[in-house]
Amino acid sequence: MTALLEIEDLHAGYGDHEILRGVGLRVDEGEIVTIIGPNGAGKSTLLKTLAGLIRPTAGSISFRGRTLAGARPDAVIRLGLCYVPQEANVFGALSVEENLAMGGWVASGAREARVREVLELFPALAGRRRQRAGSLSGGERQMLALGMALMVEPALLLLDEPSAGLAPALQRLIFDRVREINARGIGIVLVEQNARESLRLCRRGYVLAMGRTQAEGPGTALLEDADIRRLYLGG
Amino acid sequence: MSAQYLFNGIVTGGILALPAVAFSLLWKLLRFPNFAVSAYLTVGAFAALTANRGLGWPLASAWLGALAVTALVAWLVDRVTFRPMRARRPFSLAIASIGVTFVLENVIRFVWGNDFRAYDVPVTRAMTWAGLRIGREQLDILGVAVALMLLAQIFLTRTRLGIAMRATADNPPLATVKGVPTERVIGLATLGGGALAGGAGVFLGLDTSIDPLLGAGLIISVFAAAILGGIGSAPGALAGALIVGIVEEVGTLVIPPTYKSAIGFFIILVVLLVRPTGLAGART
Repeated sequence: MTALLEIEDLHAGYGDHEILRGVGLRVDEGEIVTIIGPNGAGKSTLLKTLAGLIRPTAGSISFRGRTLAGARPDAVIRLGLCYVPQEANVFGALSVEENLAMGGWVASGAREARVREVLELFPALAGRRRQRAGSLSGGERQMLALGMALMVEPALLLLDEPSAGLAPALQRLIFDRVREINARGIGIVLVEQNARESLRLCRRGYVLAMGRTQAEGPGTALLEDADIRRLYLGG
Repeated sequence: MSAQYLFNGIVTGGILALPAVAFSLLWKLLRFPNFAVSAYLTVGAFAALTANRGLGWPLASAWLGALAVTALVAWLVDRVTFRPMRARRPFSLAIASIGVTFVLENVIRFVWGNDFRAYDVPVTRAMTWAGLRIGREQLDILGVAVALMLLAQIFLTRTRLGIAMRATADNPPLATVKGVPTERVIGLATLGGGALAGGAGVFLGLDTSIDPLLGAGLIISVFAAAILGGIGSAPGALAGALIVGIVEEVGTLVIPPTYKSAIGFFIILVVLLVRPTGLAGART
């Protein structure tokens, strides 16, 4: 397996406030990797740093063999690394169709075909092409956010809590779709509060705490580890 | 008689709509009320005056020249003043925009003086239709204003760049993540906003007279129209401008014209008390 994304000793934060204090992580081609950890562990900061929104102060990020640390967000998405934020991840004032168009801003050509693919994956959106995204339900908004990310034919998706705030049935639907997207060969980094479900979904998982990688291993192994269960999975 | 006031109000509203749309969209996009739009009106009026009186251009060409000059001035102001302050609080930027207004106004005063001036245009006779006195220029102004509003709306809803502009206004961090060149979008919006304001300044000078305080006299009405329409909505700003224009003109039937400018303040007050999100609002 070749590494799609490889992070070593990454440090980043806001101003003088360092949040990531040495994160190491590796994602192989077409793999789902889950990151769990307590609130404030730096999970979202890590994704934002990968997306180019926060400049790392030290460490290295390599994606598809290219150095990514310090790259601007538009350069990052052009390389096929696509970040889906947890909140405000759609343009509320724009229609579903316009949102998809903006999702594919850096993509070239065959936009209509990709829109069709996305709507096949999320049929709930098909009847709402002209509806304002702000008027969609929470689940539909999450589907749209995933759909927007697919518009650029990404190699790796960074998903920040895609199931947050959704009813259990919708959470399952989102996880199913994530599996389906992954089955197309798209790598996925999943940050989740629903740690059990997401560890079952992934091939490998990382435990992040206090800005450092504390543990890593196959998802099922992490689920069974007594310390991790006690510390991060509520027993 | 009152129908005449209504018609004049519609023309005033048409003029008002151009800077109101610019003011409203730039507010939403840059997250501060850019009061320098009032100076852009004056810049446009004087740019056309220079082309028209100084270079002897017909007013139509002078108007086009004014669009270009004002767009450029607005862009330069953004580069020099607002861009370095992008991350500051909206309040600081709003104050800076008032500062810019003083600078531009006084540059104009220094170069052209304080006198009231007028364009060199052929005298036309007003038509009378159904008891209304309709000036030829009023019709031209209304026609061009409507056409510009339509163009702006088509641009914002039908073109990729226009949709990107709305996306950037709606959610700047997400636009950045998606690779939308937000600074370029802001630059383009500034050029467009400056052009709209400059064009309206010429209309205002044509409808009334030209002096360095031309825009300053209108900014409260522009502000009222934008708030009434709902910040960030182009159709809202157009509707707001028409309502403000009509209320201001028809209002002079009831209150002395001296207090005309108070009507704008009154509308702002009522909107903020009753429906702070404006006509197109209710979305947060």
